[in-house]
Amino acid sequence: MKKFYLTFFSILFFTQASFALVKIDITRGNLEPLPAAISKFYMEDPSKFSAELKALKLEEKIPELISNNLKRSGLFHIIDPKSYIQSPNIAHVKPTFQDWALIKAQIMVSGKLVIDSKKRLRVEFRLWDVIAGKEIEGLALFATPSSWRRISHIISDKIYERMTGELGYFDTRIIYVAETGSKTQRVKRLAIMDQDGANNKYLTLGNELVLTPRFNPTAQMITYMSYFKNLPRVYLLNIETGMQEVVGDFPGMTFAPRFSPDGKKIIMSFAKDGNSDIYSMDIATRVVEQLTSHPSIDTSPSYSSDGKYITFNSDRSGAQQIYVMRSDGSNAKRISFGEGLYGTPVWSPRGDLIAFTKIYKGSFYIGVMRSDGSGERLLTQNYYQEAPSWSPNGRVLIFYRETKSGKSGIGGSSSLWSIDLTGYNERKIKTLTDASDPAWSGLLSK
Amino acid sequence: MYKSVSLSVLFHVVFVIATIVSLPFVKKEPITAQQLIAIDIIQISEKTQLPFAPKAREIIEKIKKEKEKRVVTKQAPPKITPKEKPKAIPLPDKLKIKSEEEKKKQNPEEIKELNRQSSEFEKKELFDPNKISALIDKSKEETAEIQKKQSLELTQNQDSSVDLNKGITLSQEDAIKAQIYKCWNIPLGLPFDQNLLVRIRLTLRPNGSITSSEILDHARMNQPGQGFYKVLAESALRAVKLCDPLKMPTTGYEKWKDLQLNFDAKEMLKG
Amino acid sequence: MLIKSLKNTFLVIALGILISACSTTATKKSAGGSDVYTGTDTVKYLATGVADRVFFGTNSKNLTSAAKATLDKQAAYIKSSKISVVIEGHADERGTREYNLALGERRANAVSDYLMSKGIAKSSIKVISYGKERPASKESSALAWSQNRRSVTVKSK
Repeated sequence: MKKFYLTFFSILFFTQASFALVKIDITRGNLEPLPAAISKFYMEDPSKFSAELKALKLEEKIPELISNNLKRSGLFHIIDPKSYIQSPNIAHVKPTFQDWALIKAQIMVSGKLVIDSKKRLRVEFRLWDVIAGKEIEGLALFATPSSWRRISHIISDKIYERMTGELGYFDTRIIYVAETGSKTQRVKRLAIMDQDGANNKYLTLGNELVLTPRFNPTAQMITYMSYFKNLPRVYLLNIETGMQEVVGDFPGMTFAPRFSPDGKKIIMSFAKDGNSDIYSMDIATRVVEQLTSHPSIDTSPSYSSDGKYITFNSDRSGAQQIYVMRSDGSNAKRISFGEGLYGTPVWSPRGDLIAFTKIYKGSFYIGVMRSDGSGERLLTQNYYQEAPSWSPNGRVLIFYRETKSGKSGIGGSSSLWSIDLTGYNERKIKTLTDASDPAWSGLLSK
Repeated sequence: MYKSVSLSVLFHVVFVIATIVSLPFVKKEPITAQQLIAIDIIQISEKTQLPFAPKAREIIEKIKKEKEKRVVTKQAPPKITPKEKPKAIPLPDKLKIKSEEEKKKQNPEEIKELNRQSSEFEKKELFDPNKISALIDKSKEETAEIQKKQSLELTQNQDSSVDLNKGITLSQEDAIKAQIYKCWNIPLGLPFDQNLLVRIRLTLRPNGSITSSEILDHARMNQPGQGFYKVLAESALRAVKLCDPLKMPTTGYEKWKDLQLNFDAKEMLKG
Repeated sequence: MLIKSLKNTFLVIALGILISACSTTATKKSAGGSDVYTGTDTVKYLATGVADRVFFGTNSKNLTSAAKATLDKQAAYIKSSKISVVIEGHADERGTREYNLALGERRANAVSDYLMSKGIAKSSIKVISYGKERPASKESSALAWSQNRRSVTVKSK
């Protein structure tokens, strides 16, 4: 009897097929990082290079930076350069693909450094598909001895984009609050660094408390909150000139500032008489608009990527929850309905998701949900963590954690962390001091 | 503050002592020494070599085959229906990740078994079309069409000249799949809610080496907004190249010389 | 058998009561919240017998009867010495930073409103929130957190 059933179902299944062509469904593979080889770059005609330039060792440093970037993304596995067979100069012109396939590389990056007739340093790179045996991407960029890091990040972004179909996030910066001192007398300074931790610079001296800095997506400008002269207010800081100015003329505390996607407005909370509402101010015209008007705490506003909506944190229901309203303040709707408290909502630059902090049963979670509140997914759990910020390609979240402190504040420290949208590749970001309140810039090269 | 702490400690000590003293489950019964049982160790192999009656042997082999059949058909993926879009992004919490890792660990074992089986079947096909046509030839009286009727009688009405199983057997198909699975490095950055199907047509030589490979939706690769499709298609092409030459069955070249591989990353990326 | 099980259940209940009684150290159930600090550690004094701060329950701005008693004394002192004050609102570290800034402001205003209801002029009161930025106690414990959920009245300069 069983035999009949077996043949019957097999026949039903097989009658679908055409006569000569066999079709097979491939529904599995391996979810491993793509094996890649980043060859040392080749210096063409070293006699033309100045001594200072040679001392920089860019032929090693640039591929090293590219390798680190790609490795940190969790999507690439960089094969140990010690196993590379082919020399950089040949690799860049006509690589012997078998040599690279032998060490299991599926893609290979080669590069060349040239001093051109006008004495400019030109950096060339080529991305090779080792298996198909052909070049799939190539670019030439002009560099100076001081811009080589950015060149490396731009090349990394190009490789990332070509291999994943998405924009990269390596040519970006991170702004954060650098913390030092005892727990009850914390000294906080604004700091900015490259996404890989290099080029760290302090933007304020630490004489007053500074909190929650955010980037303007279109200009070299930052907004943050400062206790300058013991008046907690939102400020603007021009990164290039260092000039700071207070935002608006509010008769009370302003805080939790963010820029609109077009960089023209600042959105923030204004607290008065025990009530916090959300306001926006046009930076050019200085016109202020009140967006919420409710006796509850309304804070942590964040624009959607098209500027049409705002997500924010409100306790109008009795406890901290996430809401979405139109950018004119109308039609506010609650979108978080799970157990626990929700805070710090931030809209993804891809427009599809809202990241948030959740507090439940004494634990803090970083999670994402769709903009209608569905599909809630928690990515990581910790004793204390909050305030996620998106990378410009909407794939990676950066946030900060604090550890428990024992008696006399010993052990309590804060640090920056990043995690991929899939919940994998959780990493600590190295900073010189304790750090909190990180925010990611947009892509510097657009 | 210290007064209350010491009071608290005192009460806790009292409680602990009380539990030890009074609650029944704390009491254990004295362990009695177990009686030793003498065991004779017999080599089982001696027993199983006993000559069975010929008919009995036939029955045993039949049972074995059916067991193996069951294992194989479990692996068969007759997913012709289009895949649905997931309604919610599922939770990749730590527990789920662990179970997925376990599943992945298990998969290679299963594949290995199939490989072993496929080499055996060059000699004795599990799903032998000849045997089935032998069954069918017995009852040629009814001539109703297969497509219309969906009943058990169908199996007896087939014309024996039509190829019933699309050119290769289930186990041969699984063997090919197993090879491609190992070669396919799925790009990790793909969005999980898009159409992630890439169809590649291959032509093969008798030794399994590939003479040509073609992406069927080639035009889609260069469309704006379909960057991820290009990435996926290229990963599939790399998989095919890495697996070249494929280990194909030694017979039936005419049946499998044209292969179409439908790469679908949805299952893996859905998480 | 029955007596034995009865004896055991009684013992378990009795001990259960004993243990639950141990959980309170320096916090008490009260009208404002379930975890309001009622001790005197970290408390400073504006003048003899006039404590400079009041405490709150988690996420709450409600003033307990003890808080009101303290604020009555503060009001009397402010009136008699004719000083101006700054009321600082604080929150514990177990919340998101921005919400805590708002919560601190809410608490400081609750105190300010109460003082005004006791006849203090609005012009002599300023309000500022520090969120969770300036904890009074450095530890990470329920006790420390309850000490940090506070509103402090400071003589303004």
